[in-house]
Amino acid sequence: MDRALARRLEARFESVLRGPARQRHDQTEIRIAAGDVQDVLRTLHDEPALNFQMLADLAGVDTGTEMQVVYHLWSATSADWLRVIVEGLSRDDPRIPSVTFLWQGAEWMERETYDMFGIIFEGNRDLRRIYMPPDYTSFPLRKDFYLADDAARSPGAGVRHMERTRGPVDAAPGVLRQTRA
Amino acid sequence: MPPRVSCGRRERDDEMTTETPPRATPKGTHRSADDPNVLLQDDYDFYEPIPPYPPRTEREAEFYTLGDGEMFLNMGPQHPSTHGVLRVVLKLDGERVVDIDPVLGYLHRGVEKLIENADYHQTISQVDPLEYISSLFCEWAPVTAYEKLLDVEVPRRAEYIRVLSGELNRIASHALFMGWFALDLGGLTPILWSFIERDEIVEMLAALTGQRMLFNYFRIGGVNGDLNHEFMSRLGDWMSRAVSQIESNISLLNENEIFTRRASGLGVVDTETALRYCMTGSNLRATGVPFDLRRTHPYSIYPELEFDIPTRTEGDCLARYLLRMEEIKQSLRIIDQCLDKMPDGPIMAKLPRLLRPRPGRAWSAVEGPRGVYGAYAISDGTDQPFRLKIHDPSFIHLQAVGALLPGHLLADTMAIMASLDPVMGGVDK
Repeated sequence: MDRALARRLEARFESVLRGPARQRHDQTEIRIAAGDVQDVLRTLHDEPALNFQMLADLAGVDTGTEMQVVYHLWSATSADWLRVIVEGLSRDDPRIPSVTFLWQGAEWMERETYDMFGIIFEGNRDLRRIYMPPDYTSFPLRKDFYLADDAARSPGAGVRHMERTRGPVDAAPGVLRQTRA
Repeated sequence: MPPRVSCGRRERDDEMTTETPPRATPKGTHRSADDPNVLLQDDYDFYEPIPPYPPRTEREAEFYTLGDGEMFLNMGPQHPSTHGVLRVVLKLDGERVVDIDPVLGYLHRGVEKLIENADYHQTISQVDPLEYISSLFCEWAPVTAYEKLLDVEVPRRAEYIRVLSGELNRIASHALFMGWFALDLGGLTPILWSFIERDEIVEMLAALTGQRMLFNYFRIGGVNGDLNHEFMSRLGDWMSRAVSQIESNISLLNENEIFTRRASGLGVVDTETALRYCMTGSNLRATGVPFDLRRTHPYSIYPELEFDIPTRTEGDCLARYLLRMEEIKQSLRIIDQCLDKMPDGPIMAKLPRLLRPRPGRAWSAVEGPRGVYGAYAISDGTDQPFRLKIHDPSFIHLQAVGALLPGHLLADTMAIMASLDPVMGGVDK
């Protein structure tokens, strides 16, 4: 754990962070809102003291109540992986600025996230489906998309714990499965 | 003219002299090759380069508009040297490639969705087929991510076995790369030679793991089985001649002037572009950046081992090839040290059968033969992962082909693609 990195990030991004930087194992995590993505990532990328030039991963997450986009960054200035969680995207119309102006390679990762979650990356000039066929209409990794052989809704549901998928059956009415993470 | 029905011998002369009025073929139909009077409905042709729907994005519109003297060429999805099922639409100007549009998804299994609906342990067999050339690395990333979620310490012997089997797998993958790369440049012999090495290694890994390709060997908290006699004897046998054999394999290509002159200066990428395209692994190191997670972010027992991170500065196909051959030698060094230092002890941490990690998030990345394999796991406290994002370097490197290719000859397409070494199972997930 790189405590100095957490302090540096908290000092630098004081106004935009949503809560303190969290650390566990070899990871430092900050949370920001969708509007601040471009500024925060540009600062992380460009500022010599931070120098996070490597985008290791871009992932979408559907928590059941909101959408998140998660960036993993690497810099030689710190021994930690930096995780930037962009939270609070609405499930009905998730929109977030693209980071392709910093990393051209994010283009396909954003396409994949769009394909799987329906998150619109504003500024990505090639935001079309990448895995699913063009006439496909669902977003498969959303939590309200069930597999065809979803055991949770089969007559034998709950017979064995291994066969049970988590879904709205476990949650309160009207609420999808949520994560506390 | 009514359709003529003829039985037996065709009256050829008669047909020749009959005057047929010019007929227009309605749109969407074509005339039967057997009987031109029969109109057949055109099939919807999936492999037509121009998609049968309006462009969805700015970039798609731009790509599917032909400039002066340009043409489209469809490559794949059943092209022998696309290393899997990949379709690439090439925009050509004469023999020069102007732009490409790879079309993915032919191997898409929705593995991330399947994992969300499976047990933690079942993940390992789900991710195996992603990277069917070097499966162990694709298992390694999610397994270590789960270990971070569970705060479990892996026994040292298990870590040594992981590194040992992983480095063997890396050699197998690089050996196959050598063969593929030469095959895509038009040489048949190297792949036959490299399969000798690869076969030795997969056979010994089969003795260790039970499978030749999809090993399903790593477990959360350790590995599935201890080193056994057959594996050790095969390994010892192979190690005694591996160096000389690999040297002779490599000299087959390194000393081939046609190969070296063909591959040098091809598909050059500089450091800045490589970072912009999020490239990792040998492809990034070939531009001069000594970024190797085994050293820059040490995991497992790599800090205890001695090995070098070879880099090159040319950034072309030849550099990427030579670098991988250099890495084979470093892997052999690591295997030597692993065998030397292999401790005794358990190979699995004590864990309950049913894993319920506390809610949390973990990211883990390992250095594979193709680059950085990552896994981002989210737990919500149940026995199934809430989300597992798999980061595969093949996906990233295939994207970079679009940046390297323009301006090159059509014949170099496959060479450049092969030098980046993508595996389509990982690209399509």
